[in-house]
Amino acid sequence: MEYSICTIAPIVLLPFFAFVINAFIVKRFTNIAVAISCFSIFGSFLFAARIFNDFVFGVYSAGFHVHKVFTWFDISATGLPFKVDMGFYIDNMSATMLLMVTGVATLIHVFSTFYMHDDKRYGRFFVYLSLFTSAMLGLVLSDNLLSVFIFWELMGFCSYSLIGFYYEKEGAGDASIKAFMTTRVGDVFFLFGIVILWSVIGSVSFVEIYKAISAMKLQGLTVLGFPLATVAAASVFMGTVGKSAQVPLQVWLPDAMWGPTPCSALIHAATMVAAGVYLSLRMYPLMEAGHMMTVISYIGAITAFGAATIALIQTDIKAVLAFSTISQLGYMVMGIGVGAYNASFMHLITHAVFKACLFLAAGSVIHSLHDHHTHSHVQEMPRMGGLRKKLPFTFIAMMCCTLAIAGIPFFSGFVSKDRILGDALYMAMKHSSYIPVAVLGFGAALLTAFYMFRMMFLTFFGEPRDKELHDHCHHEHLSWNQNIPLLILTVFTLGGWYCGSIMGQPFGKIATERYEWFQTLIEKPDVAKFKDYYKDNLIGGKTRPSISTEKSVYDENGGLSEEQAHHVHHAHHLGAIFSVIIAFFGVFLAFLAYIRKAIDPGKIVNAFSGWSRALQNKYYFDHFYKKILIHKILLRLNNFLAWLDLGIYDRYVIDGTEKVNSYMFQFAKWFDNLWIDSILVDGTGASVRLFNVVLRTVQSGSIQFYFIVILAVLTGYIIAI
Amino acid sequence: MHNLLNYILWFPVLGMLGIVFIPGKQENTIRYWALLNTLITFGLTLVLYCKFDSTVGDMQSLFTINKPWIPSFHIFYALGVDGISLPMILLTALLFFLCILSSWTVGKSVKSYFALLLMLESTVFGVFMSLDFFLFYVYWEVMLLPMFFLIGIWGGENREYAAVKFFLYTFFGSILMLLGIIALYMVSGQTEESFNILALSGGKWSKEVLNIFGFSLPFAKIFFLAMFVGFAIKVPVFPFHTWLPHAHVQAPTAVSVILAGVLLKMGTYGFLRIAFPIFPEASIYFSSAIAWLGLINVIYGALCAMAQTDVKKLVAYSSVSHMGFVMLGLAAMTVQGMNGAVLQMFNHGTSTAMMFLLIGILYERSHHRWIVKPDGTKGFGGLYTQLPRYSIVFIIAMFASMGLPGLSGFISEALIFLGIYQKFTTITALALFGLLIGAAYLLWMFKRMFFGPVLDEVKKYNDMNAREIFYMVPLCVCVVVFGIFPSPLLNMMKASVGKLVSMLAGIHV
Repeated sequence: MEYSICTIAPIVLLPFFAFVINAFIVKRFTNIAVAISCFSIFGSFLFAARIFNDFVFGVYSAGFHVHKVFTWFDISATGLPFKVDMGFYIDNMSATMLLMVTGVATLIHVFSTFYMHDDKRYGRFFVYLSLFTSAMLGLVLSDNLLSVFIFWELMGFCSYSLIGFYYEKEGAGDASIKAFMTTRVGDVFFLFGIVILWSVIGSVSFVEIYKAISAMKLQGLTVLGFPLATVAAASVFMGTVGKSAQVPLQVWLPDAMWGPTPCSALIHAATMVAAGVYLSLRMYPLMEAGHMMTVISYIGAITAFGAATIALIQTDIKAVLAFSTISQLGYMVMGIGVGAYNASFMHLITHAVFKACLFLAAGSVIHSLHDHHTHSHVQEMPRMGGLRKKLPFTFIAMMCCTLAIAGIPFFSGFVSKDRILGDALYMAMKHSSYIPVAVLGFGAALLTAFYMFRMMFLTFFGEPRDKELHDHCHHEHLSWNQNIPLLILTVFTLGGWYCGSIMGQPFGKIATERYEWFQTLIEKPDVAKFKDYYKDNLIGGKTRPSISTEKSVYDENGGLSEEQAHHVHHAHHLGAIFSVIIAFFGVFLAFLAYIRKAIDPGKIVNAFSGWSRALQNKYYFDHFYKKILIHKILLRLNNFLAWLDLGIYDRYVIDGTEKVNSYMFQFAKWFDNLWIDSILVDGTGASVRLFNVVLRTVQSGSIQFYFIVILAVLTGYIIAI
Repeated sequence: MHNLLNYILWFPVLGMLGIVFIPGKQENTIRYWALLNTLITFGLTLVLYCKFDSTVGDMQSLFTINKPWIPSFHIFYALGVDGISLPMILLTALLFFLCILSSWTVGKSVKSYFALLLMLESTVFGVFMSLDFFLFYVYWEVMLLPMFFLIGIWGGENREYAAVKFFLYTFFGSILMLLGIIALYMVSGQTEESFNILALSGGKWSKEVLNIFGFSLPFAKIFFLAMFVGFAIKVPVFPFHTWLPHAHVQAPTAVSVILAGVLLKMGTYGFLRIAFPIFPEASIYFSSAIAWLGLINVIYGALCAMAQTDVKKLVAYSSVSHMGFVMLGLAAMTVQGMNGAVLQMFNHGTSTAMMFLLIGILYERSHHRWIVKPDGTKGFGGLYTQLPRYSIVFIIAMFASMGLPGLSGFISEALIFLGIYQKFTTITALALFGLLIGAAYLLWMFKRMFFGPVLDEVKKYNDMNAREIFYMVPLCVCVVVFGIFPSPLLNMMKASVGKLVSMLAGIHV
């Protein structure tokens, strides 16, 4: 079976057209615009589902790619070829990703019709949402780094607009700039990486990059004195660091919570931030070739642990979720670093589902709590409590997701996180340099279980701490756009959907001949396979993929030798046991502290006041960037240069000394009085006069002076010759 | 068809003469006359575009005009158009049409204002069409006159100073250029081809030696430098840039638009048409210096822009920064870099024109341009709430100018980076920070003016009216369409640019 362009393109074009149409009609026909947005994304969900279905259930099997190319522009000159091709590239990973993005986005669109309904910019929110989804889908379908970059930046723009959605508030403006600028730091590096790869390989399509890596084209070259592959890999990875909020560019994500909650769910939790991880997964062979794995795993582990510690003391429900997002993204990046390719991608998917659900549930909670004194919604957990009975559906959804993120068995988070931790443990057993990574990883798992249950206990359990607020909260009813999307997402927080197994052993056949479909389908890109890949499978011509198209056989050992596989399995069993114990221990601690009140968290905070201050200030990253880098260095440099430019350089060097300066002013004044004001301005009544003026100006002193200079130069020159 | 360039060149002059015979009291007649004139001129350039054969890299033989003008000095009235000048001609015609519309509210001696604008249009066309060096110089110089008056009469408080500064600066550069012209005329033996730009091209002067006061100096390098300064002042390249902030801040809106949108491109056009083809080995010799200057432009301009509290000055410095990218692309002398540079010339023309027009629209309402007033209070606040339509257009202009993918600036900048990387790695790495600072000052400016609560003063402002929307729409379309489909522009220029690049690549230093 062959895909035509018409079955792929609608995935990205439907939301894009919705954006274009809505941008024009949104003011007059808000409800129609919203409907267009929702239906268009549902339409792309159907197309994506079809592709996913084909890939998973046999029509296209593992290792098969759909790759279509068209020329965007061509500026070749004689002997100097240069053209830019764009294309679609679909393999199992992008098919899965497409399904996740469209599915989650559809549900979030539906939820937004509830959450944003009373907002005065209800329609405009959907305009941005449509543009965002189409950009995200474009990124997933991209076949090359340039178009990844294009959609990447477009998402940055949408994120900027949505964080600044409530632009009347001062903080929203600051947060949106912070988000855009911080990610742009990463983007600039990413662009540099693209430029490097393009110059060496002559193209930046994934296929060509894989081919070049398998042909060892990048070896032996240097950029600015460093090995080229390392510079390229590090630059591309910096893109991930920015977009996926890794240390040291994590500062923007907590502030991104200024945006409306559904957009936080879609952009700052489920999809856009995951795009960074997706990029690193796509460029996995480059990361390996650039020897970046250790660095990546450390950055991921530090992020995962550091963000989890900050989440411990947050009181804003969205802030807890924001830091947990950073922490979970850290897990994914760490997974890439320790070689857990498949697990890392699986965590991306499972996290997208449960985190979207968590944010929507938080939105549902926030929306229900309306403070009638300040006319605002309440996000502070100290004012919540006991909401379990008032919001039963939200509670069920949030509980399941919390179980998932905490890594409790039978839920999706356990399946994926456990596999990352298992690989980290394996690496730690093999190389001592990975021991800190594993320790931080398991530590973060403990903290995650604790702070997530802390959030649950503070929100839904115990006595209501703000009686008035609690009484005003209406009892929740089942409604199609408030809690149904949550419950649908909740269903997919169950582990069985992703693994077909709970503890690592296959328990059943999900699809024919396949155990653990996820592990079977998603493979590390094998660069050797791309060696003989045809370059010119242009649209119109026949697509000629020369990669092996046989169904890949599920190898239980994942291509490892018997002995290695034994070690891996051993590490995984150990890891699973560890992480279960740790997760339950974290939940137990939270139970002691917030239900039983056996431990007083306040005392602990007081006992470690230095640490808690560091946590309150998010380890002083913001302080360093804002106070020192921007205010002390950048702005001072700017002001100094601007003063130097016009105040010193222009005034003294260009205009000359005071004397010359005053001559010039006199000249100007004379010219002005004589010619401009007196004749041109005051005397333009008669038609002929203008010409008179022009003529007389030409004959005037200034122009004569000018010709004299020219003549003098000429004479001097001729004499010289 | 044969005389199409003549029509385009002289039609604005005809319009100017027409204005002379309209009584000055009938201001609206003058406005509509000028509008009609520029519209027809724009139509003529579109005809030129339709008849243009984009496969040919040379001058289009269909349009070339070559008639003796001053035979005794071998000066010809020679006009021609190729893929490098055509985008500039289209841009000029479009911007002048929109500028006439934006000048509707100018009330001070309407008659001379529009007459001078039309005269300016003709001279700009002359620069982009001339194939005779002397003719080029004449247009280059005559262009100063209307500019001088337009800034000096209709400008802001400090207009005389700015006008004289602009005049003297450019004039200084012109002298150096004239030196080069005369030198070439002498060296090439005062023949029929001594002022012919095309005939002079191709690196014929690499062997020439200049004996001056007993020293032997390489002719090509000396006169490349002379021309370089002449063109660099126009671009403007650091350290010749300080006239720009003065001129922009003082000039009326339409003149700022023309200045940033078209006149700055005359400088880079000079490199492409004259300095590089005539002195190829010297340009290769100095290319790394040009690249470093371009880098300084990019970073220095952006850093200076960030400190500005006058929004027009900020955009003026951003032009310095963006023209630095063009210089980088030129210095690369690769297919990607050169195409990127010419594309950037066009794209910067549209996006910066949008910025200046928008600032003009705001100025008509507020009568000041302070982001932060000199006394430290906010100049604007909450414009987003008060002027929603205006804000959306502003967002498009701003993101186009910072090079957001999907809008026009991105492709040209990406091409320039691809081009320059092959030659100068360090410069590429450093220039990328220009993108970062470029986003920073624009977003910061936007936040301070548009976000936050609505100031009392701002509550009086009205949103854009129909006329203002009408002249912003074509530029919005340009910025968006060429951001998504750059090929119409690239196809136009690629043959000519490719020819130049091949020629430069064939020169061995």
